Amino acid sequence: MSNRISRRRWLASAPALGGLLLTGCTRETFVPPRVRGGLIGAADVLTMSTNRLLLSRQPLAREYSRTDVADPFPTWNQTNPRNEEYQRHASEGFRNWRLPITGLVARPRELSLDEIRSLPARTQITAHVCEQGWSAIGEWTGAPLQRVLEAAGGVTPAARYVVIDTFDRWYESYDLFEVEHPQTILAYGLNGRDLPRGNGAPLRLRVERQCGYKNLKFLKSIQVVDSIAGFGRGTGGTNSDFGFHWFAGV
Amino acid sequence: MILSVLRRGALFALCWRLAVECPSVTMDHTSTTELPRSAADTSTTVHSYNVRICHWVNVVACAYLLWSGVHIFLDFPELYWGHTGYRGYPAAFRLADWGLSWDEAGALGDRRWGRNYHFTFAWVFLINGLIYVAWNLYSTHFRNRMLPARDELTVAHVRAELRDQVRWRSRSHASGGSYGTLQKTSYLMLIFVYVPLMVVTGIAQSPGFTAAMPVLLDLFGGRQTARTLHTIGTVALVLFVTVHVLEVAAAGFFTKVRSMITGK
Repeated sequence: MSNRISRRRWLASAPALGGLLLTGCTRETFVPPRVRGGLIGAADVLTMSTNRLLLSRQPLAREYSRTDVADPFPTWNQTNPRNEEYQRHASEGFRNWRLPITGLVARPRELSLDEIRSLPARTQITAHVCEQGWSAIGEWTGAPLQRVLEAAGGVTPAARYVVIDTFDRWYESYDLFEVEHPQTILAYGLNGRDLPRGNGAPLRLRVERQCGYKNLKFLKSIQVVDSIAGFGRGTGGTNSDFGFHWFAGV
Repeated sequence: MILSVLRRGALFALCWRLAVECPSVTMDHTSTTELPRSAADTSTTVHSYNVRICHWVNVVACAYLLWSGVHIFLDFPELYWGHTGYRGYPAAFRLADWGLSWDEAGALGDRRWGRNYHFTFAWVFLINGLIYVAWNLYSTHFRNRMLPARDELTVAHVRAELRDQVRWRSRSHASGGSYGTLQKTSYLMLIFVYVPLMVVTGIAQSPGFTAAMPVLLDLFGGRQTARTLHTIGTVALVLFVTVHVLEVAAAGFFTKVRSMITGK
């Protein structure tokens, strides 16, 4: 008898529990901005929604100890963008580099590297997990993306995605679920020193729950948008324009 | 493209060899010792609908998983132990040491479509497997045909089976359809030990799943260990399937394949 009551109570509390778990979650949390066709598209949605359901309470990615750190941290792909503007900023020690934050924020503005450094910082020793199969642990220091957006007055209610452009001509978009995560930071420090050029100076993104290709280097600008249509081929990123998953949680 | 054609060619050649050449191996059934047969032998259907459909869906899923997995591996053809592994870090295995250089391997592998197909068919494989297991737990398939009977677990029985196995004589197939103890044990191990291990070592490499379930990192001692075990598991599966197909060939390739298609 008591067994039946507890079961009934559990059943009654299940929807409430589900609601609690999914607080703050929207369609964007479970479905990529543009769903591909066929079996691959169906699998994309299944992978992303399963992942996000498990992550709905925003747990932190594993943080390691200082002894696990790879120093020097491996460099990969682009290590020095052949871009006139980037080279000029680099030669000036990024003193005149500014990060424009535009789009659906209350007060669009530009932030200098010093202004970003003066925001509340977070240091995390996490694994960079490349989709190719390699992984290395680094100590990243930076400002949470959420704090950076708040420095521009915060996102407006219509905001859905944050689009980031880089000096090596890449762009990627992130839904607000990823943006709000405490470990989603704009890192200017690696292993206790300034972020080296080979690892994305002056500023790179860390999204610890997604693969390497979502962790952009050499940041150029940030836009907050309600739709990713109109960027590149409209899939939400350079990688997904090439045919990768937009969501890189696996 | 060329590889895809080569692969199909090799697969066709393998099937042809097995079909044409291997039945000759099965000629000698004469010295098979009589062993008690289990109750399931009397059923007229060799394989149920569920088993047949799941089997062939599984063949397709595993073929795609293997092929896409090879693509992903070739894009970073080194294996490590622990949490860390990158080019220049002490490796447990380097394909370059075995004759295929980094650039050659990279030119063969396409991680983009490798990843797309791997995760797509991982879902096909997983859902198909869950349906198969649920259905056969509900029906009596596992209990009647895969759980070894008490008399099949005696030392004498297993020894007799092993002896026949080594001499390449198929007893169970000749005796009308029920599985041998070795066969039952290997199928059960495959379904309930091997497959879960492959799934878990697979998702233990994912930054998303490991954030949700950090125990995945501790279970194997790091995502690079999981990746290495996942690769070893792939090699083990290829060996298993090779033996499986050879066994089928030994028991009469066309009869066995037909029964897995038509059920008779």
